[in-house]
Amino acid sequence: MTQHILTRKDALLRIPFTAPFLPLAMEFADKGARGFSLGDRESGALTLAVEELFSFYMSRAARESSLEIALGDEGYRLSLSLSFHAANPDMRAFNLTWRVSHDSEDSLEMLGPMIAARSVSSLRLDFGDNDRVVIRLTMDRDYEPARNVPLPPSGGPGPMISEPSRDDVRHFAAMVNASGAPFIPHFLARPSMAADMLAAGRLHALLAVAGDWITGGVLWAHLTETCIEMYGPYLFRDDPDDNTLTMLLDEAVGRVSRTRARGLLRRQGPLAGYERFFDFLGELQMAGVDGQASRSVYYFRQLREESGGIVYCSPVLAAFLHQQYERLCLPRQVRESAGDRGLARDVSVLAVELDYSRSLAIIRPLCAGRDMAANLEGHLDLLESEGIANFLVEINTGRSEDTAFADALAQCGFAPRLLIPDAGQGDLVIYDHSRGNVRP
Amino acid sequence: MNLDAIVPEYVRCFDAYIPSKPDHLLMREYGAPFLHRLNNNENPLGPPPAAARAIAEFPPEAAAVYPSGDSFDLREALGRRMGVSPERILVGNGSCEVISSVIKAFCEPGDNIITADRTFAVYEWVAEFSGIQARLVPLRDYSFDPQGMLDCIDGRTKIIFLCNPNNPTGGWWDEGLLTDFLERAGEERIVVVDEAYREFVEDGAYPDAVALMDRFPNLISFRTFSKMYALAGLRAGYLTGTAGVVEMVRRTSIAYSVNILAQRAALAALADDADHIAATRALVRDGRAFLMTTCDALGLETVGREGNYLMIKVPINDMLMYRRLMKRGMMVRSMTGFRYPGWIRVTLKKIAVMEAFAEALSEEIRSIREGGRSA
Repeated sequence: MTQHILTRKDALLRIPFTAPFLPLAMEFADKGARGFSLGDRESGALTLAVEELFSFYMSRAARESSLEIALGDEGYRLSLSLSFHAANPDMRAFNLTWRVSHDSEDSLEMLGPMIAARSVSSLRLDFGDNDRVVIRLTMDRDYEPARNVPLPPSGGPGPMISEPSRDDVRHFAAMVNASGAPFIPHFLARPSMAADMLAAGRLHALLAVAGDWITGGVLWAHLTETCIEMYGPYLFRDDPDDNTLTMLLDEAVGRVSRTRARGLLRRQGPLAGYERFFDFLGELQMAGVDGQASRSVYYFRQLREESGGIVYCSPVLAAFLHQQYERLCLPRQVRESAGDRGLARDVSVLAVELDYSRSLAIIRPLCAGRDMAANLEGHLDLLESEGIANFLVEINTGRSEDTAFADALAQCGFAPRLLIPDAGQGDLVIYDHSRGNVRP
Repeated sequence: MNLDAIVPEYVRCFDAYIPSKPDHLLMREYGAPFLHRLNNNENPLGPPPAAARAIAEFPPEAAAVYPSGDSFDLREALGRRMGVSPERILVGNGSCEVISSVIKAFCEPGDNIITADRTFAVYEWVAEFSGIQARLVPLRDYSFDPQGMLDCIDGRTKIIFLCNPNNPTGGWWDEGLLTDFLERAGEERIVVVDEAYREFVEDGAYPDAVALMDRFPNLISFRTFSKMYALAGLRAGYLTGTAGVVEMVRRTSIAYSVNILAQRAALAALADDADHIAATRALVRDGRAFLMTTCDALGLETVGREGNYLMIKVPINDMLMYRRLMKRGMMVRSMTGFRYPGWIRVTLKKIAVMEAFAEALSEEIRSIREGGRSA
């Protein structure tokens, strides 16, 4: 057994993956979470997740596998990963649709992972070489919603660009809420979360400041390792010649251009004069909780000169990809492939991100399996019964586990609507469904 | 193997530069019938005739023999040309190698270098992957901002990098501005003047950094055979400094890094450059005038006083314009990586190529204005 602190914000434990070490794993999760200042509720939930996952996968892991638990303090949230080796591990319970049957012992056993998946803020699965499985959990800290703050009066001097402090971003986030902006990401709805994300380097921002007033701002954060998402610009004053908007976008794009990211995405409402900054990817119609339809417009720009790529996918997806790559002048080779169904697992796993404020479910494949169409249908039915009005599926063209879903998606009535280049291991294809997503 | 445990964080956080693919692959990927590389500021005339002969006549058996480890003959010739001792010259495998040698010689983690935010990126990159802070000062009117750079100096500032004329904007400092800056920057740090494009400048007010080294012993000049001399494929660049400074840099330089063909070609190029420089300058003048007229007619803003390149502001994002032009066989440099989103940089080449580029650009601009592919 080894245990060592990597930095002041990381802790790592490697132990045998056997029953006697369960208390140590739980103690590590609990004490680690508290050490990184999580409250009782969050620490308890994380410890419960570790207990359930440990208990379930202990007997399913490869015989010689150890378990590595890594905790990372990201400021606004704590991340925890469990890493072990297991051949074809059962991940069914991570599906939102998993229901426990009291008549089935197998089903009852799966209760553990289900509890774990429901008790944390997010869960992701990664599969590596040599049957390596990594279950990544995150637990957000609790934050207060925004309070009302005054907005700047109209007129006044032209703004200057300013790099904000943590307090500036907290105040700016409150102003965004006060301004009634139609698209407010969850971290801006909780200003202290935005401030903590900035302090942790997970969020970046530039503000327009005129005299004593913040008159606007733009923010950005990594969506994936290769793609940055931009939020805003949010402007609190009239901007007749788009001077403030152009100043903020020019500076922000200049700043992100030398990061490691390959692309910059903006997916809010329409942005007038976007052409100089972004490619237009498309738009999605969303049914709002109030019954009003809204448009989510996707803009994108590459940050590096294109280096080409090859996509393997089924013919049903290939036609859409050809059309999009041609429209965006992206040099990709699309190779039609039926995939290897023989290698697929029995059961597929889908992750669902729910955004109740937008009545939106974003479904992402975690594992392909022979039951993909049935699994998708099951998710649709469940989400619909929970009152969700918009369903999106994200397929990563660089992952065969994802592209394997193309036929099942078509069978279930999903249609590809737009493509985000370089947003994952490859490009990201966004599907929507005729059952939801109001049509134009 | 846990690489994270042995790789410094400043290396882990750094992304390697990805060079463009070979022409045949790019043409295939973009479906382009031909490819004009207008992205690397290469000289379309090729090397001076004597250098071309030296390359053509290179005896294969000479490749079996190590080159001069310190480019002895080339340094002698350069010394004669500049009127300085060969000991004050260090030849490297392109200017990028001497940039690295200078940073290694003078900086350690905790130190910083100062340069502009919109300039040749290699100063910044080498500093960053060496654990040295790069302080980036915004340009002022497309040129280096002397006061902004002076304001960034502190006790840990070891090197200031100036690019004169600046790549990509073409802005440059005259001798008065440079000497004033050197006086105010003080002798406690190195000032590097990268003169990669100096041979393209015809204005008499353009300073000769080497001639200023008697007054400013902390001054280093970078020059190259890649641009005017069209030997980019052989990689030969050099620095000149005072004897003491160069002796320090020599300690962190790699001997034998400049190959024998590069040394011979560079030596020959130096001896036969008068007509070549005149012809290249005329070509660049004509290309710039033609392209600026084209851009004026299209209503596109341009920037670029000197150097063999011109920046053009385009009405769509530059990365998309890059891809659209690639489909037409025109490879430009998108300026997002230079922190100039919305601009492209175009190498000035022969008029026939400039005309083909102008046609491609005009068609794209027309298509965009008519609500073409980007909408």
